[in-house]
Amino acid sequence: MAVRLLFWFYAGFVFASFASSLWLLLSSVLTVMPIPLPYWLLYTPGNIVTAGIIVAALMLALYTYLGVALVLSKLLRGLVPIIMVIAFTIGLALLLAKLAIPALAALIIAYLMLIGTYSVLISIATTRASKALWATATIILTLIPLILMAGGLAVMNYVKYMALVEQAMAIMASAVEAWRLGVEQ
Amino acid sequence: MWSVSRALPVVVLALAIASIVVLVVDGVGASPSLIASIHIGGFGEVDYYASQPMPNVPPGLLVRVYLINGSGVKPVNAFIDVYANAPSGIVHVAMGYSSSLTVPFNNTNWQYAINKWASLGIPFSGYNTSMLVFITYVKGNESWIVPLLIPYNVGWVYRALGKSTPSAATPRYIVVNAYINVNELRPNKVVPVKLNGTVTDPQVFGTYNGYTVYNCSLSGPQPPNIYTSYVFQPTSTCLGFNGSLPIAWATWSNGAIQSDSGLLIDLSIYFSGTINWDAMAAGYGDIGTSYSANENWGPQSAEFILGSQVTQPGSLYWYYENATWAIVNYEVYEVWYVDVPIMYYVGTTTVSEVLYVPPNDYYAATFDYGNGPISMFYNGAITLSQQYFGYPALNASTVVDYAAFEYTPYGEELWECNGPVGNTSTVFGGVQYTLYTVTLGSVNTAYGLSSAELGTELGGLAFDVLVEVATEGEATPLIKFLNNVGSAIFDIAGLLIPPSTSTTVTETSLGINFTTGTNLYISVINASAVYGLPTFGFILNATNFYGIPSSFTCKYNQWVQIG
Repeated sequence: MAVRLLFWFYAGFVFASFASSLWLLLSSVLTVMPIPLPYWLLYTPGNIVTAGIIVAALMLALYTYLGVALVLSKLLRGLVPIIMVIAFTIGLALLLAKLAIPALAALIIAYLMLIGTYSVLISIATTRASKALWATATIILTLIPLILMAGGLAVMNYVKYMALVEQAMAIMASAVEAWRLGVEQ
Repeated sequence: MWSVSRALPVVVLALAIASIVVLVVDGVGASPSLIASIHIGGFGEVDYYASQPMPNVPPGLLVRVYLINGSGVKPVNAFIDVYANAPSGIVHVAMGYSSSLTVPFNNTNWQYAINKWASLGIPFSGYNTSMLVFITYVKGNESWIVPLLIPYNVGWVYRALGKSTPSAATPRYIVVNAYINVNELRPNKVVPVKLNGTVTDPQVFGTYNGYTVYNCSLSGPQPPNIYTSYVFQPTSTCLGFNGSLPIAWATWSNGAIQSDSGLLIDLSIYFSGTINWDAMAAGYGDIGTSYSANENWGPQSAEFILGSQVTQPGSLYWYYENATWAIVNYEVYEVWYVDVPIMYYVGTTTVSEVLYVPPNDYYAATFDYGNGPISMFYNGAITLSQQYFGYPALNASTVVDYAAFEYTPYGEELWECNGPVGNTSTVFGGVQYTLYTVTLGSVNTAYGLSSAELGTELGGLAFDVLVEVATEGEATPLIKFLNNVGSAIFDIAGLLIPPSTSTTVTETSLGINFTTGTNLYISVINASAVYGLPTFGFILNATNFYGIPSSFTCKYNQWVQIG
């Protein structure tokens, strides 16, 4: 397998996560401090959405990259992240076109494919630690919509914590993989 | 076997750990989290953040100013002026020239407004109040003004300052981002203001007992009606007092004491309904209602006998307590409507207005022998009004009615000049008296009281003008927003002041039991025209009418021989 290609996926995943979480922390803290701030650093809904779009675009690019890398390595499961990206893009486009029901259908497919992508990442993980981390993240990812459907907005806080743990797991798994691929092989 | 440099994986691992730390910090709520946001048209945005206490960042309001020029958005220095709405007016809180201004919740002036709200005893959860922020950006001889209304809840302040139990979902920081969009906002011309060289001593009221003298920008005026062709905007230069305001009074001179000993005087009031206190501007007259409240008075009367119960010159007056009255400097703008309203600065004027009166207040009658508001009217206010308005507040021209009892060689005569005189009877001290009553007609007519109109719109009027100018008269989301918030405030005001749809007021009269030999000149003063107070006085002299008028009209059939 093209180890070099996968290394850059994991490194990119960690970089993107780091950049977005750092922006969130810095902007939220600096915004309430009495110091002059450039507009883009303000923690406002508009900027949060913009940051979200940038991170989502980065992540979609990374997943596309992962899928292509896997397909090039003769691993057809690479199609899963590619389908996820396509479904997500279609879903967003339909949402912008205000076609809510078809958009929801496309986004549900994208979400299922995201769970699939995590499973693919488990299958190509090279260490037990990263397998376990990806697996935990996958389980949380699967549980979140079910819990939300059962509990509604009342459980939003729990879901927030679960998403946080899921993100932390995915970041650590990527870091372990990057370490393994970069240093040990 | 391929291998990248060891440094890169180490960096990736370090970033991963750092990301998780940041996620945890964020997750446990250590960093501020956005819990609400209000977009105010294209003029600004208010964001509310819940947060743990942050070192060196006190909870409160933070205003930032951004200049939108072309496609660029950058911080810019501007005048930032912050006011807090209080139940009785506007409190000036902070001002600065900067690209950002911090106003902590524990700011003294803000606390003043907060305490006023708290003293109403209405649960904080039942209403929101607001701050007013005016941003003025000046470049060359042009200026851009953006007014913003910032809703908040008094309970948040209490929680943030630890005065009540904190809650995770309570905003601790309110951040206002104001946008000066020079692409869309039309600039105003900057008019240099000529400072007045004559400065008045604001302690002028300090010599009177029982009054608190203060700079009334702390209480603030109510801007008058927008729909006049003039727009009046209060400036901070003003002075005023809290205390008793008279609604009706009778004053007797030393001559009356000496000439008319044994005379029974009965000062009666009967008033129920909405009182409007109008703002009176020098040179412009009545510029609109400054404050309204529902009041219930009487019928009540206070009686005393000259010479036995009162032996020195003085006044008897009915009053309401804890009212706020002020003399305020306003800037005057003339408005021309040529498709859009255009405001021209035409100068300044001095306005007398009531800023607050408690609804359905305790009422009472009491005497004033030189230390009360009536003395202030005569002594302090005449000087003061001469200084501020250019003419004395009480003079012959403020006398609306005259009546006289004269002892002539032909017997006792009653002269009625301008004003009805009737008679009634009363029992005082077990004695039956027949009283000649000088009735101040209907207060409604004399003062021009209108139907219920709530007077605490909390600064919405001057505000609306600015918005209209800023948006060239078009209805923008800002105006809609202001209207919504404004009506919310209106509702709160409605809680404080029971609305009334009709005014059923009625009379204020002075009764005199004349005895043979009575020499009494009664002048009825309407001080409303100058002070904006619906306050009326009867002045009793032994030798002539108040102000010694050169002419007064007594028609042929308006005198009768009595006695």
